[in-house]
Formats: sequence, C-alpha cells, structure tokens
Amino acid sequence: MAEYVHNNNQAEAASDTPAIIARGVSRSFGPRKAVDDVSFELPEKAFLSIFGPNGAGKTTLLKVLSTLLPITGKGSASVAGFDVKTQADELRRRLGIISHNPLLYPDLSAEENLRFFADLYCIPNPEERIDELFEAVELKHRRYDVVRGFSRGMTQRMSIARALLPKPEVLFLDEPYSGLDPHASEILDSLIANIRGNHTFVMVSHDLDKGLELASHALILSRGQIVLYDKTDNIEKEAFRGLYRKVVGLGVS
Amino acid sequence: MIRMSDFLSKLRNISQGQELKIAIVLAILGGILTTVAFVMAFTTANMQYHDFTVNLPTFQTNPETRIPLATPEFQPQPPDGTVNYLNPWFSQKIFYFHVPVAWLSLMMFTLSAIFAAIFLKTRNPKSDLRSRIGMETTLIFTLGTMISGSMWTRAAWVNSWGEMAGKLLSEPRLVTYTVMLMFVVAYFVLRRSVDGEEKKATYGAVFTLLAWLIVPFSYAFTRLTQHTIPQAHPADALNTGMDPSNLLPFIVCIFGMSMLGYAIYTLRVAEEKKRMQLEVIKEDLEDALSDSHKQVGHADLMQQYSAAAVLGTATDKTENKEA
Amino acid sequence: MPALKATGLDALHPVLPNISSWRQYKAILRKDIAQELRTREMVTSMGLYGMLVLVIYYIALSQTGLDFDVTRIAAGLLLLMIVFTSMLGLNRSMIHEHDQGQLEALLLAPIDRPIIFLAKATTNLLFLLIVQIVVVPVFYIMYVSGSLPVQLGEIVPGPWWMIALGLTIGSIGVAGVGTLLATISVNSKGRDFILAVLFIPVMYPLLLVLVAALNAVIGGAVGFESVFWMNIAGAAIYNAVVIAAAFVLYDFILGV
Repeated sequence: MAEYVHNNNQAEAASDTPAIIARGVSRSFGPRKAVDDVSFELPEKAFLSIFGPNGAGKTTLLKVLSTLLPITGKGSASVAGFDVKTQADELRRRLGIISHNPLLYPDLSAEENLRFFADLYCIPNPEERIDELFEAVELKHRRYDVVRGFSRGMTQRMSIARALLPKPEVLFLDEPYSGLDPHASEILDSLIANIRGNHTFVMVSHDLDKGLELASHALILSRGQIVLYDKTDNIEKEAFRGLYRKVVGLGVS
Repeated sequence: MIRMSDFLSKLRNISQGQELKIAIVLAILGGILTTVAFVMAFTTANMQYHDFTVNLPTFQTNPETRIPLATPEFQPQPPDGTVNYLNPWFSQKIFYFHVPVAWLSLMMFTLSAIFAAIFLKTRNPKSDLRSRIGMETTLIFTLGTMISGSMWTRAAWVNSWGEMAGKLLSEPRLVTYTVMLMFVVAYFVLRRSVDGEEKKATYGAVFTLLAWLIVPFSYAFTRLTQHTIPQAHPADALNTGMDPSNLLPFIVCIFGMSMLGYAIYTLRVAEEKKRMQLEVIKEDLEDALSDSHKQVGHADLMQQYSAAAVLGTATDKTENKEA
Repeated sequence: MPALKATGLDALHPVLPNISSWRQYKAILRKDIAQELRTREMVTSMGLYGMLVLVIYYIALSQTGLDFDVTRIAAGLLLLMIVFTSMLGLNRSMIHEHDQGQLEALLLAPIDRPIIFLAKATTNLLFLLIVQIVVVPVFYIMYVSGSLPVQLGEIVPGPWWMIALGLTIGSIGVAGVGTLLATISVNSKGRDFILAVLFIPVMYPLLLVLVAALNAVIGGAVGFESVFWMNIAGAAIYNAVVIAAAFVLYDFILGV
C-alpha cells in the first residue's frame, strides 16, 4: 500500500513538469509535411515508443525535438523544460542520443572518444566520470583500444556510455536495435533495463513487441500526424497491433 | 471517396495567375524594343569610332623589371599603346547588344543572390525557386555575354581563333565571365548531386551567396595581376562620349533586353510553380486512387481500435474469472 | 548476459558546469590531431600526392631544354600542387566527421556552431601547413634554386620567408573556405568531384594574386617587394571577406 501511494505521488509530481512538451510541431518544406501539427506531453521518467511506417516522420520528429532541425511555422516544443528554439544549448546539455549509428570516432580509442565528448559537454572531472562509465558498461579492459576493432555490442555499449556522459535527463533512442545481432540486442536490453528509471526515454522503433514491452507511453505516427497517443497501461495489445498494421498499410511506401 | 471534381477544380486553379500575363506582355514588348534597337543600330546610328590609346602600366616600361610575365616581344599590341580595330563597323554594332546582355547577366545573378539570402532567412521554397530560376537566367545571359564578347574580340583585334584564345585569357571581363559561368554550372551540378529538396535549396543558396561575393574579387584581381597591355573593351567607347544617334538605340536596347530578361525569368518561375502544384495534385490523386479502399480517416481507425480494445478487455476479464 | 553495475548510470539532475567554448575548441583540435597521429591518413596521402605532382611536373618539363626559364612558371606550378593536395586533404578531413554520423553527435553537444567551423578550419590549416613544410622545399630545390638562371646568378630570388608568408596566407584562405565547401561536398554524391567543381572558381581570385605575389618573389627583380605586398594585401582582403562569409554561412549548412 505504501509503495502504491509512493508511486502515485511520484506520478503526480512528474505530471506537474512534463519532460517533453510538443505543441503544434510541424516540419515541412513546400507542400509536403514530414511532421504535421504534432502535440503531446510526456511526463518525467516515462518511456515513450514512437511507431510508424517509413517516412511517417518519426526520425524528423526526433531531430526537431533534439534541436537538429528547426520547427516550421508557429509550433513550439520543449525538452526537459527548455524550449527547442530559444534555449537550444541548455536543452542539448540535458539530452543524450543513442542511435543505430554509433556516433563515435572509429580511429580513436574508447578513452579518447569519451574524453572528447566530455570536453564538448564541459564535464568537470572528466577522468572520474569516464572511469565510472567504463565500470558501468564493463569496457574497462578495452578503454585504450581503438573503437574500430570493437564488436557491434561493444560499440553499442560505448555509444551508451557516450550518451550518458553528461548525465542527461532525457534520452532519445533512434532505432537502437537496427543492425544488432540477437546477442548485442540482449546486451542493449539489459543496459536499457538498468537505466530505465533514471531518465525520460523516447524511442523510435520498428519492433512493435520490443517497443511496447519497454514503453510506458506509445505513439503512432502516420504521414506526420499522431494516430494514437496513450499510456501503454491503457492499450490493448492486439487492437494496437491491428491499428499499427493498418497504419503501415496506409503509410507512404 | 474520391471526388474527381475536386481534382479538376484544383487543376483549373493552376492555370490561373497574374504572373503569366505580365510575363507575356513583357516578352512581347521587350522583343519589339530589342528589334527596334537592332534596326536602329544598323540604320540610323552614325558610325562613331575612335582610335584611342590606353595607358601602359609603368612597371612594364622599365626594362630592368621582369615581374610581369609578358616581356616586350610577347606583347601583341604596338608599344605606343594604340589600339587598332580590325573591323570597326562590326565592333561598334555588337556593342549595342553585348553591353545590355552583360548588364542583365549581372542583374540576374544579383537577383538570384538576393532570393538566396531571403531563402536562408525564411526557408520558403518559393524563394529558392526564384533563386534557382535566377541562376538559370544568369546562365543564359552569361553565355550570351561570352558569345557576343568573343564576337566583338574577333572583330576588334584578330581574325584567327588561335590568336583569339590568347586575347580571351587577358581580358579581365571575359575571365570574370568564365569564372561566373563556372559558378553557375557548379551550382546546377551541386543541386543535382544532393538528395532532398531542402538540402538542395540550402546548399544552393549558400553557394550562390558565396559566388556572388567572389565575382567582384575575380574582376578586381584579374585587373590587378594583369600582365599584358590592358585591352580596349566595348565599354571604353562610352568614355569618349556617345553620339545621340548611337545613344538612342543603346538605351532602347537596354530597356528591351531588361524586359526580355525579366520575362524569361517570370515565365520560368510561373512554369515551375505550376509544375510544383501539378506534382502535388498528381501525388494526391495517385494516393487517392491506390489507397481508396484503405483511405479511412484517423477517427475511423481510432473507433475500430477502441472497439477492439473493449473486446480485448472483455476477454481478459473472462480469463481472470476462469483463473 | 553481464549484470551491469549501477554506478555511473544512476546519477541524476547534475549540477551543470559552465560551458567553455575554448575547451570545446581545444577538444576538437586534440581529437583531430590524435586521429591523424593514429592513422596518418591526411598528411601521408597529401604529402605523397604532392610528391607525385612533382614527378608529373618533371615529366611535363622534361623536353623544355636548357634555355627554358622554369622560374617564370614556378609560382604557378607551386600553387597548382597546393590546390590539388589541399582538395584531397579537405575531403578526407570532412569524411572523418561524416561517415558514422559524428557531425550529428557534435551538433547535439551544447556547442556554438561557429566553434565547429573555427576548429575544423584550424586543423585543416594545420595539416595543410605540415604538408607544405615537407613538399615545398623539395619543389623549391627542383624548380627554383636548381634552375639554370638561379644557378648562373641571373635571377636572385627574394627571401624564403616571403614565400612562406604567401603560402601561409593562401593556406588560411584554402582552409577557411575549403572547410565550408568540403562540408557541402561530403553531403553530396561524388564528393571529390563536387569539391573540385565548387572549390576552384571560389579560389580563383586568391590563387591569381598568390601566383602574382610568389612569382614576384621568385623572380626577385627590382621592386618585387611592392608587387608582392600589393598582391598579399589583395589576398588578405579576400581572406577576410570570404572567410567571414563562410563563417556566417556555415550555420545554414549544418541546419539541414
């Protein structure tokens, strides 16, 4: 009972300050809209999975929220309480990205890579933080090795360490499972499970089962528009699957 | 449901537009004016031709220096600096057309650069369209300038192609135009090799602005580093003053050419705009035709979903009961 | 599956440090240098390419005979070599930032976009200069101090530092504008070709005054200083204007 109350409080506290707010976010060039008037709110520490067919605007939405692409028109968005237009720098410091691309320099050692990103984020006592992270992702024994020689799983662990360097409040996962073999994806699963409660997550995924399993919230995009946005608790899986299939059939191929 | 009438009315809307009418009027008017100027140049304009001297740079007359590459034996001009025309009649006549065309090519390039800047500020694809069409028009007039320029050079100094090549390299304006031509070609090559409309537009705009900034440098530096005798250029005749009978066709031609240039530009913009609109309608129609059986709104999808969800919860409950 | 320790993963709501642009700038520099020290890709390929160009010059000039005064075209040949080698290097340098989405990672960091431009331009300049330190003396020995008029004392070239100054100013322009153009070309199909197509017309005015300046120094005739300084001033103005433009425009390139 006590635990239940505690959780409830947490949920309430979280809902006061949503980690991500999108209000009428659009992204277009000419008549074609990649993201079309998307609005949603995501509470802190939630895990949002975004589904949709290719070209539905999932990655574009993620890029808009991570300040890589500007919003077209009047809409606004904020991540971790900072506006994507006006407070981009503050926002970026609180955001980590794990993508299917490792975003690492293959010719540098693991240590040099993290050291570089630590400097970019101006992290105080970088050695300490890097030690911590190597410990956490269990790559301490390979820290002086060149990243080029790492396996996919190791590279993915490295890229998680890179994303976690600045202790971000929000983590974006852009199809992190694509191109991973089963073993590597298991490792990624366990890593994400470990940090699941610490950050707000947004994941773009093609894998419906994996996405739903992890998520607290789910969103389906089609042609840049939200088809469904709800808590996974309220979602009936089979119906959701049917809806997803319909949307994929609908989508721009 | 697809309603063909919607698409038909959309198509009808496309063919309307003020721009097209203006462009056609300008094209006709410009054509008439240019023709009038052409006739005047060959009939009413008096032959006005001066032998004029150009000042030799002082460092070239100093025999001790060998800084400029050209030594006296390489200099094609008489050492006193007098410029002699081989075909004064033709070189005077071509001048009426060469100058307006050159002037227009610079104007169009500037127009393109202005729309490039506007595009970078507003991200409006229409500005990009205008900038791109501006570049196309620049290409036409740059080629026109170079062709009329080399015709002029031929009439003015030389009668063999081999000698002409040498002249082309030493005339700063012609070199500048060669570089400008390279810019315009590079612009289109760049656009072709980039994926995505917005990237095309942005890279194109950035390159246009950079190129526009370089053009004055390439002109000034070609002059600065010139190592042969500065050669008389059609525009130098302006310094000697123009006879009214010459000035009139010149001015008429400038107006006529400007109208023609603007008409070409506007026509192309109108055409491209229509093409863009047509493309959108085509895609919409294709979507509507191919997906018509699936074309259910989001609301319908949601209804189906919630119906299924209720059913799902019901089965859950029965399972619980059984458990 | 390894059980992961929670240390380092669970710390939250950090006290955010101040952002130091200088530290970020140094970080990119250090990263590029470390990368280069490990792979030696840029300097080696550029240096080797420069040497190959020298061989080609030797072939091209092999039938000119003793009366041909090579110092007259030496400045042009030198610049040609530098243009070709630097295009190679610029391309390599941006490919390193592009192929695994590293530039995206850079852009996601709280870093001012101009810092990225300045840092990349600085490392490009550094590598260009290193290659030139190796290649230019060889060129100089082959085609200037080894040429007949210089050997006979008919031509006394100006001081070497003037050539160094001219090449440095040229390299600043090449690195500044080249960083912008290489960022464009690396995002296009046919990278090397696109870079050449964009780079050469943009560089035209700069190369022109540099050839004039270097030619004056190599010729070493009376009054070459004034020609040299006039052209160097032109190059400096070009650099100032065009690099400022590239600096401003770089932001737009990164925004798509």
